[in-house]
Amino acid sequence: MAKFNFYFGAAASALLLAILVIVAELMVPFKDWLKATFGHHWIGKAVIITLAFLAIGFLTKNKKSLANLSDGKIEWYSVIASLIAIFLFFAIEFFK
Amino acid sequence: MRDFVLFAHIILGLALIAFPIVILLYLKKQPNWLKPLSILIAAISWGLLLPSGKLYLTFYPATKTLVNAGAWPWAHSIVMETKEHWGLLLPIIATVAAGLVATKRIEESRRWWILVIILSALLGVMGRIVKIGALA
Repeated sequence: MAKFNFYFGAAASALLLAILVIVAELMVPFKDWLKATFGHHWIGKAVIITLAFLAIGFLTKNKKSLANLSDGKIEWYSVIASLIAIFLFFAIEFFK
Repeated sequence: MRDFVLFAHIILGLALIAFPIVILLYLKKQPNWLKPLSILIAAISWGLLLPSGKLYLTFYPATKTLVNAGAWPWAHSIVMETKEHWGLLLPIIATVAAGLVATKRIEESRRWWILVIILSALLGVMGRIVKIGALA
């Protein structure tokens, strides 16, 4: 039995990071809350996605797939999608 | 202080390119030191958050003012904003790669090591673009 699901933990933190980035930029009160709670929005995002990585990794330690997709595939696509989404979001915001 | 964290940032960043290349070269042979080196790389990727965080939080605001006032404001708005957030995923990705090696799924770890190398190199190039942007 696995002790930790690295794939699901990383997929959750990658998707969560993209969501946090977009929501924090579009909703100033949320970014202000991150700053007030963690000292800086960047630290807040780092803490939240690290906790998500650990929590989801432990909670899904016995899971191997989700909706017929393997955990490895879900993680790979989640991480790549997150990286692309973050870049595109800031590019679109700049040229808007 | 600034020079110390800058050098630590660069050296640890380069280690995240060099060490995973070594891992990839020896992935098929699976020597005994593969697992400890993988764990060391994951530890370095987490440790790198300290100098990068210090640079970003303490020293970058002055650079940001220069970038935004210069000819390349996109160097902050697109490149730095992307870099500071991609950097948060680097330790997660390196930990996945190391975790796969530690749990004997060594061949599965290959693409994650490649992603660590590519992402680390891209972050380095992006840092350079921001630096040039401050002088543009």
